[in-house]
Amino acid sequence: MKTFFLSLTAVGLISIFTLKPASAQLTGKEIMEKVYNMPSGDDMQGELVMTLENNRGEQRIRNLKQFSMDNGKVEKKIMFFLAPADVKNTSFMNWSYADGREDDQWIYLPALKRIKRISSDGKSDYFMGSDFTYDDLGDRLPDKDNHKLLKEEAVNGHICYVIESTPKTSGYMYSKTITWVMKENFLGIKREFYDPKRNLLKTLTIRKFDKISGIWTILETEMNNVQKKHKTLMKFTNVQYNQGLKDNWFTERTMTTGL
Amino acid sequence: MKKLSKQLKLMSWFTLVLILAVTVLFSTAIVNHARMETNLDKYMPHNHPAFIYSDQAEEWFNIKDGILIAIENKESIFNPLTLSKIKEISLDLLSMDEFEEIDIQSLYTADNIIGTEDGLDVTSFYDEVPETAQELALLRKNVIENDMVYRRLISEDETVALIVAAMDDEYFTDEFYHRILNFAHSFESPAEAIYVAGRPIVEGTMGLLGPADMKRMVPIVLIVIALVLYVLLRRTSATVSIMITVFISTIWAFGLMAALKIPIYAVSTMIPVMLIAIGVAYGVYFYQYLQQYFHNNPESELIIALKSVIKRLSVPLFMAAFTTIIGFMSLLTSQVYPIKYFGIFTSFGIFTTFGLALWFLPAWVILFGYRAQNISSKTSKKTAWNIRLNAENITQILINKKRTVFIITAVVVALSIYGISKVWINSSFLANFEKESDIVLTDKFVNSKFGGTSTLNVILESEEYDAFKQPEALTLIDEMQYETMKLSRVGNSFSLADYLKRMNKVMNSNDDEFYTIPETSDMVAQYLLLYEMSGDPENLLKIINYDYNRTNITFQLKGDDSQTINEALTEIKKFEKPLSDMGISINYAGSGYKALVFTDLILDGQIKSILVSLILVLLLLTFMFKSIKAGLIGSTPIAITALISFGVMGVLNIPLSTTTALLSSIAIGIGIDYAIHFLQNYRMNLNTETNQLDAIKTTMLHTGKAITFNAVVVISGFLVLLFSVFPPNRTLGALVSMNMFTSFLGTLTLLMILVFGFRVFIKNNSTKAEIKE
Repeated sequence: MKTFFLSLTAVGLISIFTLKPASAQLTGKEIMEKVYNMPSGDDMQGELVMTLENNRGEQRIRNLKQFSMDNGKVEKKIMFFLAPADVKNTSFMNWSYADGREDDQWIYLPALKRIKRISSDGKSDYFMGSDFTYDDLGDRLPDKDNHKLLKEEAVNGHICYVIESTPKTSGYMYSKTITWVMKENFLGIKREFYDPKRNLLKTLTIRKFDKISGIWTILETEMNNVQKKHKTLMKFTNVQYNQGLKDNWFTERTMTTGL
Repeated sequence: MKKLSKQLKLMSWFTLVLILAVTVLFSTAIVNHARMETNLDKYMPHNHPAFIYSDQAEEWFNIKDGILIAIENKESIFNPLTLSKIKEISLDLLSMDEFEEIDIQSLYTADNIIGTEDGLDVTSFYDEVPETAQELALLRKNVIENDMVYRRLISEDETVALIVAAMDDEYFTDEFYHRILNFAHSFESPAEAIYVAGRPIVEGTMGLLGPADMKRMVPIVLIVIALVLYVLLRRTSATVSIMITVFISTIWAFGLMAALKIPIYAVSTMIPVMLIAIGVAYGVYFYQYLQQYFHNNPESELIIALKSVIKRLSVPLFMAAFTTIIGFMSLLTSQVYPIKYFGIFTSFGIFTTFGLALWFLPAWVILFGYRAQNISSKTSKKTAWNIRLNAENITQILINKKRTVFIITAVVVALSIYGISKVWINSSFLANFEKESDIVLTDKFVNSKFGGTSTLNVILESEEYDAFKQPEALTLIDEMQYETMKLSRVGNSFSLADYLKRMNKVMNSNDDEFYTIPETSDMVAQYLLLYEMSGDPENLLKIINYDYNRTNITFQLKGDDSQTINEALTEIKKFEKPLSDMGISINYAGSGYKALVFTDLILDGQIKSILVSLILVLLLLTFMFKSIKAGLIGSTPIAITALISFGVMGVLNIPLSTTTALLSSIAIGIGIDYAIHFLQNYRMNLNTETNQLDAIKTTMLHTGKAITFNAVVVISGFLVLLFSVFPPNRTLGALVSMNMFTSFLGTLTLLMILVFGFRVFIKNNSTKAEIKE
């Protein structure tokens, strides 16, 4: 697993890319690589409200505070739960390595007062009961898929490239994805996920994005599982970049002390 | 005279053509619109509170019936070939449109959450099929240590693996049923046996087997009845015409059903059998009366004979049809729609048969003639003389020995009441199959290796948010599971408590000491959060809602019969009080529970409909014969028939089920016909004969003969059903035959003695009969 935690700057297509004006001959692969290879700040922190809503309109709302840093070799993140009250101070830490090694993950449960390492092989596992899988949140290497530029199309007034990505090897949880990438900033604005039976499974929509400290940042995004009629809304606030978080701050000790 | 005859013939042709035209019309409706309904769920009254709740709960927790595919390898399933088959079956099922990912559970799809010294490991049991002895040993170890899988998906003796495929009933079609069976069995090999079980399969087999068997049996019943009719009546033309009436009435009944776009339910397949049993009688009476008329007036013209027969027959036949229809219409009190339809369309068919007996049969006789000479031959006369002598002797003996008859009746009634006290209702679908049939053996096999093929869902609800994060509530749930699982027929159970106990153990270095409910609600909340983050959160959706105040506990039972479910319910209900003290309410859901409620509804409806029809029949007889005495005595044979019918079921341990419950209607419907004919003729004979004894003897001779004919024909026809391959159809045949026999016997013995002894239709001490009309 590339990333365990939600990365504000690398939510798959949510990546931002500032480039010189694109040449007309860009291929699907080139576009997706540009989206993927987005540089992010040295470190980042922010608050996240995650709302899960089922087909009966029942909601689960979780508030988290997230910190992350990236030194080029390893990307480290810590997330603290703020609410609901009974999981307050529960924390997760994730180290993701650039060399392709499996992530290292830890969890701290305050009720148990113990830190546990977690290892998982479930790439298609859903993130905290949400409609995002770890893969949806993480940056699946563009190399794993074949990309085809289908057409150009306007979404909410933004001219977009429409790219179809199909996995190179069989057995992946999606038979294909279709991504709408804004031509102006190489920011993905919409993505459709198709199940192995080639039916539409989920739709990801970016509701709000803004430039913070010079970095394009997604502030509101919604994943809608049309088959299960279940959706997840993520809202980011107080996003700050380059606050000087040190490598050695991302430790088990930090996890246990809480905020 | 000749002109009249020509006109008559023309009218008869017109009648025949008209009937034929309507029959063709109804046949077209059948061809175009008839549709078989095999989904047993459609039987359930979905507006009943218990069903509304269960349907709701099924939606809340994605509760579905599972098809169970078991793969057995007598050595051990831990070998590359069997494991690859488990993988292949799982993947193939996933690729079918009928299933979603969440619906398929197997060793291949399951998550293995294991605790290690410093952490938590969430992996699949295997992705690539393990090949080496070392890999296989590790997999085996993982399975045995994980009780979410061990004994649930892999049997304790490690020889059987289960693949569970949950599905919506709507998707279950004949086509799918055959496809899934073929699919599963295609994985069979000398080393591996495949078993397919589960409620959808049982329902599918039942929905197909019953009607298919009926389709095969009805023609045989028809042929046997036709043969017996011929032997008794000795007339080809009469036999053919009677068979045509029942055939036409069946077509009309199903034609109307098709025209109204009402599907054919499994229970509707009994309609032809009912119409044959009842309809043949009407034809037999017609020809009997005709024969008797010519016997008394050998020189009479056919048209006069017919007029007389129609005049004499129409009232009792109408009353017979009317009372029978009341018997079937009483089924409208049922809350079960297919049973209501069964009542309506059988009634329509009976009305048709009645009409045909009075219009079609005379027309047929006019067109194809009637030879009256049969009984005028010498030998026949001698036989007739013997019959008369016998009838008179029997009547005399019965009247003399009436005390014996009463005593026998009393003993039979007492035995029946004892039997009725032992009648039990069975909601089991499986009980409909042969004990040695594949489906029963498979079910038995899977039950012997796993928790059980049937499920009962217990739904707990509280007004308080987070109610089921509280250790007290969870402990109570755990206790409920523990106590209920002590029952031998309860094989397994599954709840939020199981998840939490496992998480607690895993988070405490897999120490068995910690296989307990976590101590605080915070710890529960954090474990659940952890599970959501590391496992498959959809598994949790099957047992707990978002507000943590509604939870689903699943019990696996080793049988789908009422006894097993009730036993479990009794144990579970002991927890109602302590749960309600915590503000938690308890409800039940799932197909097994619905079937239980359903059978209760059937029984309740049946008792209602029997009482309603008995009372109506009593009133009708009283009204018809203007005598409460006649009404009471006339109702005696059917009341006794109903008693014996249920009594025998009790004594022979035949449970009350959808099929058997309907038999009371036919018992009353047919039984009353005998009584009406007997009373009607007796009243007429009182007018012509010189004294009461002669009148009763004559009635015994003529009506007795007609009733005997009728009983012999129908009973022999229904005995054919004993050779059916579908046990409920066999039971139907046996019980209908028995009911006919009881009604027949009761009418000619008890009813006769009572009518004679209580001087029905006779005013005070006068020997002259009193005829009111």
